[in-house]
Amino acid sequence: MTAAIQTQARTGLRLCLWCVAAVIAELGLYLSYRGHDARFHWFTHFFVGSSAALVLMAALAGRWRRPVPYPLVWPLTAHLFAMTPDLLFSAGTAHQRWMDLFLGHLSTHFVWGRNYTWYVVFLAALGAYLLVIDRIQDRP
Amino acid sequence: MATSRRSLVTVWLLTAVVLGVLLAVAETAAGPLDDADPARQRPGFLDGFGLPTAAPSITGEVPRAGRRAVVFFERAERLEALCANLDGSGLADGADLVIVVADSSAGNLRCDPVAIVEDPTSDLSGAYGLPRPVGGGPPVGYAVVDSRGRLRYRTLDPAVAGELSEVRTIVDAVP
Repeated sequence: MTAAIQTQARTGLRLCLWCVAAVIAELGLYLSYRGHDARFHWFTHFFVGSSAALVLMAALAGRWRRPVPYPLVWPLTAHLFAMTPDLLFSAGTAHQRWMDLFLGHLSTHFVWGRNYTWYVVFLAALGAYLLVIDRIQDRP
Repeated sequence: MATSRRSLVTVWLLTAVVLGVLLAVAETAAGPLDDADPARQRPGFLDGFGLPTAAPSITGEVPRAGRRAVVFFERAERLEALCANLDGSGLADGADLVIVVADSSAGNLRCDPVAIVEDPTSDLSGAYGLPRPVGGGPPVGYAVVDSRGRLRYRTLDPAVAGELSEVRTIVDAVP
């Protein structure tokens, strides 16, 4: 195996490990929201956080002319930021209005269409990021 | 390049289908005691949805000035679990507790030292503004009243007996 191939294999493995770690982390977060009514909250914060991350990723990828590194970690990080008030709640602090600073933690639950609206927003943000990646690859 | 574009489209479609299915499953998993609008169930913040308002009287002593109160709304067949978990929860240290039971058999039920009040016509749950659950019938949930007699929080919560720490968090947030 040449050094170049070995490097590619290592890079691929590292990316894959990050993918698995991010998916496992999201699964853990989902399970941490007990009951289906709480999982309603997981979906909201996942879609909102991931959408914000994907918009940022698209902007940075377009500027850098290359995909962002560890693409699944960005949505996970933004999701954790969006759900921070829920972590505080678990520690005994009730929600307060200022917690909307965490990507609209309270108000995002009350948009028209509820989570279906955020689902559409998320798919649009994902599409925007993938479109940027596609255009970068098309350029000579 | 066409292959790469196909891969990107595949990623988008796969993500759309997987998350769409998961979302649909989660949305259709509502139980008969849940709120029709999941956003209003266990919101976790005070003074939402038209609150605060003056809390209607449940008994001559609850709510009373200078003391917080938690008004549970429960059904007779589920009362045992709530009573068992209230005992030793420490919730009574910070607030007066009362359980409103829709069934007319509530007069025979005991949950000492927590008072039980009958509400066969759902007048009390209506006065507290608790919504009807998806499956109809009287609501299961709770309301929190502050020490000035203002209703600050109300929610349906079919799993309230197992989530008294959450009730404690809300009680601690009101004066």
